[in-house]
Amino acid sequence: MADTVAQTGATPKLSLEGVTKVFTSNTQVVEAVQAITLHVAAGEFLCMVGSSGCGKTTLLNLIAGLEFPTTGKVLVDGKPVKGPGSDRMMMFQEHALFPWRSVIGNVLFGIEHQRQLNRKERFERARHYLDMVQLSGFEKSRIHELSGGMRQRVALARALTPEPDIILFDEPFGSLDALTRERFYAQIQEIFLRTKKTGVFVTHNVREAACLGDRVVVLTSRPGRIKREIAVPLARPRDFYDPDVSRLAGQILGELRSELPPTGDTNHETEA
Amino acid sequence: MKRKLKILLFYVLLLAIWQAVFDLGVAPKYMLPSPLIVLSRLRELAADGFLWPSIRTTLLRMGIGFGLSAVIGLVFGLMMGMNRTVAEALRSLFLGLQTLPSAAWVPISLLIFGLKDTGIYFVIVMSSMAAVAIATADGIGHIPPPYLRAAQTLGTPRREMWYRVIMPAALPSIVTGIKLGWTMGWHGAVSAELIKSSIGLGFLLHMGRELNDVAQVIGIMLMTIVIGLLVDRLVFGRIEHRIRRQWGLIHAS
Repeated sequence: MADTVAQTGATPKLSLEGVTKVFTSNTQVVEAVQAITLHVAAGEFLCMVGSSGCGKTTLLNLIAGLEFPTTGKVLVDGKPVKGPGSDRMMMFQEHALFPWRSVIGNVLFGIEHQRQLNRKERFERARHYLDMVQLSGFEKSRIHELSGGMRQRVALARALTPEPDIILFDEPFGSLDALTRERFYAQIQEIFLRTKKTGVFVTHNVREAACLGDRVVVLTSRPGRIKREIAVPLARPRDFYDPDVSRLAGQILGELRSELPPTGDTNHETEA
Repeated sequence: MKRKLKILLFYVLLLAIWQAVFDLGVAPKYMLPSPLIVLSRLRELAADGFLWPSIRTTLLRMGIGFGLSAVIGLVFGLMMGMNRTVAEALRSLFLGLQTLPSAAWVPISLLIFGLKDTGIYFVIVMSSMAAVAIATADGIGHIPPPYLRAAQTLGTPRREMWYRVIMPAALPSIVTGIKLGWTMGWHGAVSAELIKSSIGLGFLLHMGRELNDVAQVIGIMLMTIVIGLLVDRLVFGRIEHRIRRQWGLIHAS
């Protein structure tokens, strides 16, 4: 979607500078992420892979402004993040849709407090993004009436509607079946190519990362540090089963595997 | 439909047993009247202009008293839901208050408010407020954290969270609490009227006892049950059902 900062030298859309996050409870001190320095260019789609508990979600929370770094800085357009903002939206592991609202009510949620839009404009905007995720006609449906894949599409529309510059993905497709997931890969690529948004996508699925990312960052196990960055110079839209994607997925998996504790089981299959 | 028929049959059977016990003369007539005697006494009360004004008055008192109670309970429940220290302190207090029977609030209400209706509202509030507060607090405590995270990233200011996310997310639990609170408040209203009123269902119970009129006492007891149940089912039950169906907590039949 865009060249990396290193290649263009432009101001990064998103920067993490020496970010460390330590969680302290009564009984223990846990260092979730350590000395993360990372720049994401406008329009870039960055994937972060790591095993469970490597602080991937913590990194997203820091970017979203839900948490703050213990040391280091999180910058958007060169300005420090002071809290959540409509320039950064998030898609969650669970769909996190509000069951007390209809589909359109959920999609409207993020723009209801935007006074510069009147009621009609808000509805038009919400319908536009519902249409983009191919859910026209489901405006009045209740959340429980939808399938898992449809719910995540509503969640995507809800994240798109405030028209953020950055969308954060916290393993959003983990609980979907393979077929539904593959449709999402095509849809996400298409939407990001069209809207030129910046994406940060966290997953433990290496093939997913290779298929979606302009760049893939491999994180170490706890505490999460950057182990390696791998550029993915493949043309889009990419197919999930493209041999080049598979080859890159294998390379990422190799990096990731050396992070796993030795179990004697050396015959892991690529997660797909 | 078949199930409803069975339930109806059960009540017909119950009435038949009552009638049979009466016919057998197990107890003297002035202690156990027949269903028909009870019914005709209720009709007399209605004809004399006692019954309907009393029902109306008790319902009106509940409307005011329980309305007040629901608001107070909601506010306390919200406070408990937002602050852990408040929650721990108030929960023990409210659970304690709930062990007190509604009627136990009547003497203190007489001492404070005398015979005014304010005292009846007081008894209703004290009987039912804790149920609403505890259910609200529980509902808030069980809100899935992703809802709050999602609402935050979607730009909900902290001061708007309570009505945009917290209250709606806790709604099923709140409605269940209000439904329970209604029943508790109904106990309180009738208990208070027994002693400190000159109209109302509780007063008619008291009057029946003074007149040694078992038919009236049983009749008013039945009316109290039927009206309490009707409001519970037709008002709060329907609201609860609708919310649960919308949320997908139950499936439409």
